[in-house]
Amino acid sequence: MMDNPKSDGHLTTKTTNLPALFKNQSFFLLIVIILLSVIFGSMNPRFLTWGNLLAVFQQITVLGIATMAMALLLISGGIDLSIGSMIGLSSVVICTLIMRGSNVGLAILIGFGIPVICGFINGVIVSKSKCVPLIVTLGMNYVYYGLALVISQGLFLSMKGNFQFLGRGRVFGVPMPMIIVIVMVFATHFLLTYTKYGRRLVAMGGNEQLAYLSGINVDRLKIMNYTLSGAIIGLASLVLVSRLGNVLANAGEGYELRALAAAIIGGVTFEGGRGTIAGTFLGVILLGIVQNGLNILNVSSYFQTLAVGVIIVVAVVVSNLEKIRNR
Amino acid sequence: MIEAGKRDYIIQAHHIFKTFPGVKALSNVSFDLHQSEIHCIVGENGAGKSTFIKILTGSLRPDSGELMVHGKNYKYLTPYLSQTLGIQVIYQENIVVPQMTVAENVFVGREKATRFGLIRYQETIQATQKIIDSLKIHLDPEAPVEKLSPAEQQFVKIVKSLAYEPQVLIMDEPTAMFNVNDVKVVLDLVKDISQRGISVIYISHRLEEISEIADRITVFKDGQIVITHDNPDKNFDLNLLTREMVGRSVETFYKKDKNTIGEVVMEVKNLKLRRHSPTIRFNLRKGEILGIAGLVGSGRTELVRALFGMDRKVSGEVLLRGKPVNIRSPQDSIRAGIGLITEDRHKTGLALNLSVIKNTTIAGLDQYPGGILNLNQEKKDVEHFILDLDIKTPSPHQEVRFLSGGNQQKVVLARWLFKNVDILIFDEPTIGIDVNSKNEIYKLITELAKEGKSIVMVSSELPELIALSDRVLVVKNGRIITELNDQEITEENIISYAFGVTDDGQSKE
Repeated sequence: MMDNPKSDGHLTTKTTNLPALFKNQSFFLLIVIILLSVIFGSMNPRFLTWGNLLAVFQQITVLGIATMAMALLLISGGIDLSIGSMIGLSSVVICTLIMRGSNVGLAILIGFGIPVICGFINGVIVSKSKCVPLIVTLGMNYVYYGLALVISQGLFLSMKGNFQFLGRGRVFGVPMPMIIVIVMVFATHFLLTYTKYGRRLVAMGGNEQLAYLSGINVDRLKIMNYTLSGAIIGLASLVLVSRLGNVLANAGEGYELRALAAAIIGGVTFEGGRGTIAGTFLGVILLGIVQNGLNILNVSSYFQTLAVGVIIVVAVVVSNLEKIRNR
Repeated sequence: MIEAGKRDYIIQAHHIFKTFPGVKALSNVSFDLHQSEIHCIVGENGAGKSTFIKILTGSLRPDSGELMVHGKNYKYLTPYLSQTLGIQVIYQENIVVPQMTVAENVFVGREKATRFGLIRYQETIQATQKIIDSLKIHLDPEAPVEKLSPAEQQFVKIVKSLAYEPQVLIMDEPTAMFNVNDVKVVLDLVKDISQRGISVIYISHRLEEISEIADRITVFKDGQIVITHDNPDKNFDLNLLTREMVGRSVETFYKKDKNTIGEVVMEVKNLKLRRHSPTIRFNLRKGEILGIAGLVGSGRTELVRALFGMDRKVSGEVLLRGKPVNIRSPQDSIRAGIGLITEDRHKTGLALNLSVIKNTTIAGLDQYPGGILNLNQEKKDVEHFILDLDIKTPSPHQEVRFLSGGNQQKVVLARWLFKNVDILIFDEPTIGIDVNSKNEIYKLITELAKEGKSIVMVSSELPELIALSDRVLVVKNGRIITELNDQEITEENIISYAFGVTDDGQSKE
């Protein structure tokens, strides 16, 4: 490698070739978000009102919570494409129980428990079968969606007006979902940065062989992480049913891909070991702002889809600039 | 000889030099190859054999020197040029596509096809069959390669290279994984191939087979050619070869002081490295550096994996300070106070995208109480090791991929020192590390032994084994073939045991 140990010093300058802007994806994202807000605001002043910004936050709560689960999985080298169906299955079960006259509290508890169990099952299959998690959870996505369809018989189910606090309540004027999402962001960040558990997740994502050879029980850690992600999805699902009040089996449809997109935009990589929760949350906010801004500007939803796609690709390419340069 | 040979030189290499950072891989190598001869190359690991072969196949360019192929001069070859000149190589590792049939493998990349790109299966099969018949071996061209034995897969590679109608065939340890019968078949094949006018460059660690088939034998040592022998009566003095492969002055190498060796810390009993290999036993003392020597495939790797609990062990017992411990996973062995510095830093030794801090503390997070980390304390602890081991990094937060090989290795070492293990297993401690850093690593290993750590060191580099080890176990065919102490630890001894020239009176393979 290096002949002269002194020359090690200049290695660090290799990364500083790139503008600092690009080096730190979170910072870059923040700039983009501010720029977009200014642009949207100048085109339609209504965008920058307090009410609208609260609305943006409201719109991204479920996605924000779900993305925390996805980020935990991605950073540890995993992925779960069944989270959308887990949300659907959980919502359908809650409504079914309530419509059959069950105790609301019990229904909520069971509804929360279902994604936990789903996550646990995913974790066991992924860790014990050594199969690619992408494929395993893609299959499980159909399994859970199928179950949701069977249970709901494809019908609209209702909460009958119960349990509105989590989705619609306010504490000191602040919407409950907003509080939840902010708490979740800080909690996940803390978990990943300041706990042994989080450190082991990062190490496993960075190099699973290394983690194994460092005495980490890799299988158990994976199962725990999928289960924990299931619990986070359980929370997202409760917020969703509480806000919507009535659901179909496909209530969570698309959340897995949007959560994946938000995390990737935020600088989390598919290969694991990289990415921050701050960046991930900025990714969520960016998606929310684009959607809301384009809505306010009366851009057709078809174009919105197109815009989101472009953002994802640009974000991935930007985060890969260093790799391209170093080749 | 020279006049007679002049017209039939296929390859001539003149004064080839090749340097890698910190290593002179080849210096002043001159080599020639006659038509239809079997020219064997011998030498220790790292003697320059592979580098030389890579120059012939065009995957490396010489720094200086000249190549003459079929009487034409070249500064260097490219892989494509080398192939067009009729040079084919059969590597040790598998390069066949297991799911495809023999015939498909033979013609992979140059399929016999119609002008519309449709493959002519019958023609492919017939062409393959023709080569197989000409070799007088049995192989079904339509059999999927994954269903074949390792020996048969080796035949597929030979058939494939012959399909290119080469003039030079280079074989890199073709018999490394074979039993006696298959070796015989391969050797006969090689003789047969050379009789057709094809020149063969044959590399092997098995000196007996070289003596049996070689027309000439060239000995490589430290990137230079020691001598080229003629071998007309096919019965060469193997001891002479061994001496010539060694003969390096070890004095120039790192010298360690004798340290005091204490009581036995680890006893290994009845350990089976492979299902059918005999059991082995050995022990390790406090403050001792125990060297493990052996060729690739001798069972060295299995020994390391077994000690560290990476494989479900076949059988065996490990006692630490007299107490039996059950090691079934790396987790168990780490808990028992054993650390492993793996051979492949990038694949298994480090998480390259993570910081020096995270790479250092990952095995020892349990040193800290509770589930929450004190990042400041952690940073302080790691800075202590950075100073102690003299790890050159601009910051403890630097990602380890930006460090040099030697400094990366120190990070791996710091991990186990942080975990405070008593026994350290080094698998090729200085692989891919430049000369200066090597000496630093040697110094660290010696210091650790002095501090009372026990060290197991597996290495292909005999000079480092000899300089550092208090005792050397030589492994061959899954068993410990001998134990060398003090004065017995010489390159000659290790090589002759590892290569099997001296077999300790035990049965030959």
